[in-house]
Amino acid sequence: MEITDRLAQWMGKTESFKKLSTLPLSLILNFVLIVPFSIMIYLSFTKWEPLAGYDWWRAPIAGIPRFIESFADARLAWALIRTAIFVAVVLPLEFLLGLGMALLFLGDFRGKKAFTSIILYPMMMPWVVVGLGFYLMFQYFGPVNLLILRPVFGEGAMIDWFTDPVLAFSVIMLADIWQWTPLMFLIIYAGLAAVPRRLVEAAEVLGASPSRILTTVRLPLIKPLVVIALIIRGLEAFKVFDIVYIMTGGGPGGNLTEVISLYVYKLAIVYNNTSYACAVSLIIMVAIALITRLAIRPLEVKVE
Amino acid sequence: MPKLVVKDIRKVFGTFEAVKNVSFQVEEKETLCLLGPSGCGKTTTLRIIAGLEVPTSGEVFVDGVLVNDVPPQKRQIGLVFQDYAIFPHLSVFENIAYGLRVRKMPDAQIKTKVHETAALVDVESVLDAPGKKLGLSEMQRVAIGRSIALDPKLLLLDEPLSNIDAKARERMRAELGKLQKEIGIATVYVTHDQLEAMTLADRIAVMKNGLIEQIGTTSEIYDNARTLFVANFIGSPSMNLIDCELVYSEERAILKSGDFTLDITEFAETIKGKPKGKELVFGIRPENVSVDIEKTDPTAVEAEVQLVEPLGAKSIYHLKISGVTVLAKGHPMAEVNVGSKVWATFNKDKLHLFDKKTEEAIF
Amino acid sequence: MRTKGTAGRIARYLLLIAVCAWTLAPVAWMISLSFKGPTEWYAPNIVPAQPIVDNYINLFIPTNPIGGSHFFTSITEPITKPLINSLIVAGLGTLFAVLVGFLAAYGVSRYRAGGTFTIFFTLLTRMLPGATFVAPLMVFYSSIRFIDTYVGLVLLYTAVTLTYAIWLMKGFIDEIPPEWEEAALLEGASPWTVLRKVTIPLTKGGLAASALFIFILNWSEFLFALVISVTQVTTLPVQISKYVSAVGRMYGTQASIGIIATIPSVALGYLIQKHLVTGFTFGRVR
Repeated sequence: MEITDRLAQWMGKTESFKKLSTLPLSLILNFVLIVPFSIMIYLSFTKWEPLAGYDWWRAPIAGIPRFIESFADARLAWALIRTAIFVAVVLPLEFLLGLGMALLFLGDFRGKKAFTSIILYPMMMPWVVVGLGFYLMFQYFGPVNLLILRPVFGEGAMIDWFTDPVLAFSVIMLADIWQWTPLMFLIIYAGLAAVPRRLVEAAEVLGASPSRILTTVRLPLIKPLVVIALIIRGLEAFKVFDIVYIMTGGGPGGNLTEVISLYVYKLAIVYNNTSYACAVSLIIMVAIALITRLAIRPLEVKVE
Repeated sequence: MPKLVVKDIRKVFGTFEAVKNVSFQVEEKETLCLLGPSGCGKTTTLRIIAGLEVPTSGEVFVDGVLVNDVPPQKRQIGLVFQDYAIFPHLSVFENIAYGLRVRKMPDAQIKTKVHETAALVDVESVLDAPGKKLGLSEMQRVAIGRSIALDPKLLLLDEPLSNIDAKARERMRAELGKLQKEIGIATVYVTHDQLEAMTLADRIAVMKNGLIEQIGTTSEIYDNARTLFVANFIGSPSMNLIDCELVYSEERAILKSGDFTLDITEFAETIKGKPKGKELVFGIRPENVSVDIEKTDPTAVEAEVQLVEPLGAKSIYHLKISGVTVLAKGHPMAEVNVGSKVWATFNKDKLHLFDKKTEEAIF
Repeated sequence: MRTKGTAGRIARYLLLIAVCAWTLAPVAWMISLSFKGPTEWYAPNIVPAQPIVDNYINLFIPTNPIGGSHFFTSITEPITKPLINSLIVAGLGTLFAVLVGFLAAYGVSRYRAGGTFTIFFTLLTRMLPGATFVAPLMVFYSSIRFIDTYVGLVLLYTAVTLTYAIWLMKGFIDEIPPEWEEAALLEGASPWTVLRKVTIPLTKGGLAASALFIFILNWSEFLFALVISVTQVTTLPVQISKYVSAVGRMYGTQASIGIIATIPSVALGYLIQKHLVTGFTFGRVR
């Protein structure tokens, strides 16, 4: 009787607790995210700018011309392409370099802890400072030119990195690789270390060389882990903003290294083209949500 | 020429001496069992033979060739791990084919060989199953198949039956025995289960604390245990071991333990002078102590039954004879219960006598 | 791996040193620049010939000439305000994210609170580029006058890092066997008491690690700070961008502000070294 009473009491409490626990979460999310999101949807169907002279909720509904506009927007297309290239280059390189580093660290050796600690810090730096660091290094009178190129290849080899779009973009990609390879390294290394030693020994006794063991035993077993890591890193890479802003601001020529985040930012803040920015944002959001939903579903099933 | 020669192997891990001094040989088609409790160094010895550990000192010869510096990849030795170490991401077929692919055997040949091997170890029905979905006994058979597909010179098995539950173990033991006869490779087998050793091995090396206590055929080990440890370890139920002293009185040699006496005058000559100390242990296996309701043998002594363990075809009788507890194994006798008085006869031919310091004096 | 041999070992160490050099290069150069006077800013030497701290001083007293010459930055305000702003915003943002996130994580973990939509939505906030959010955010915030306010930025930071907070802390909560809490509940304790007396003491370490991780994220955040701040809530990263786009290539000062911004971030990062991977992968990878 006492126990059942207590249980009933407990039930009541847990129900309210359950609702309460996520209440602050919902409040904040709703306020900070969902309200603007709804605004965004609304505005993308209007034509409005902050300079239009009237409040945004009085903006005339204009239907879908904003969306149509986006298909004709070459700059948007280029921004998307550049971002795609960025991800397509950065992701495999981070994986390969991370794999290389993980293999390098496999096994025991003196100073392993110290070396590991040193390798990790790029991940902890603010993105803008990473951008700043590479910006400073690749200046015309900076160390890359003065300490590497000129001594090795002579006076004419010094490059003006930030005036050529391809070179500038490469430096940006380099900065991202520099910062995030350690993450891939950690993930891959953890995976490799978790491969049971017995399996490696079994392969050895069957005659497999270390490289063969790597390709036939180790790598297949860390595949699920790596896939998750690549997806997460890929999504983050798509969002790149800070380093581009700091290093080139989208230039040279105003927009030759512009990635999608930067373009949308400029649309909203610099050009004040609010409703168009909203339309583009909406398209991108929907696209990403769809793609990740489609891509993740089969993968989640497999990983189970 | 012996297929495997292990000479004076010693292995030290840091300050721990896992293997102190181990030497033995294995002939072609012979199965040698390394038997001993956990920690005695038997698995380490096995890994040294395979090449996964480097001995601190000592030599290993395979087919007469010194292989100390040969890496495990090149030793052509098959090794079946205790947990089988099946590649979970590969199918049974690919598991067995693994070593063959390493050797760059052509696909058609691989196919034939794998099917052959699979038939041999009876896994043909699951050839396409992924490694991680197999049951334990299937895994074991695949592990064995994987090793023998390469026609190794030597097969090493590390406690292959310890992961299997008791019921299946008997069946697997029989299958393993049959397989061994069929394949006929020189085999070294590590186990802590003396029943396994007795059934599967041609010869047994009993190990303790990094040393081989005794090495010999199964019957030698069973009937002629040379040390207390071996005598105690082998046999189920274990040998009766009773502390005693040797007393000479009136030309008779008598083993005395409290009120218990056993006349061993017929062996007086053989044991003369051999016992080093006063403290001895005599041993006799329960099956060599016969139990009867009536005194059928003149040397039988009276005993009181303390406990009866019925095992189906046989029963184990816990007897108290003149204050000493002795186990006897005999036919089930319905009339015998706790408290019954029976007559126990010791088969003196199967008597063992040990110096308390692990030594043997007579057979 | 066993028979690596001396040649292999030497190769390994050489590669390791190369990797370390590559890793340390940018920061090493920035440190070097930050101690150099303007005459050396375009020179290749790594060790300053005449080391000065003027760059750092100039950050706080912009009228202070650098290297004795009359090199001023065109930035006229000291970095004390951005520095403090960063601390406040990152700190408060972290505090709220941890509070709200912990509660939610606990509810989800133990009581299965919040439907799949909540979870999906929190994931979505991480998947979408922040820039896609900026347009409506500006409109909304201007309407409710949250632009350039601490409240506005802190709320935003909280919302954005909640995903990390929840996933991280849920992981730590899941590790505690529920039996202890259930026992306390059966004794008549309310869920809140259970939280206070049982769960929090047990997950203290994990909570601290999560908090530090989120702080690092907030400290480094740039885009939203750039958008929301005008003059009052400028954070350090925003200030850095101002230095970079300012007239006159003040490499030394830029480097010094970079170093100042990096130190807290990296210091905290080393404290939670073990948890970095868990953090960046939402707890999917340990």
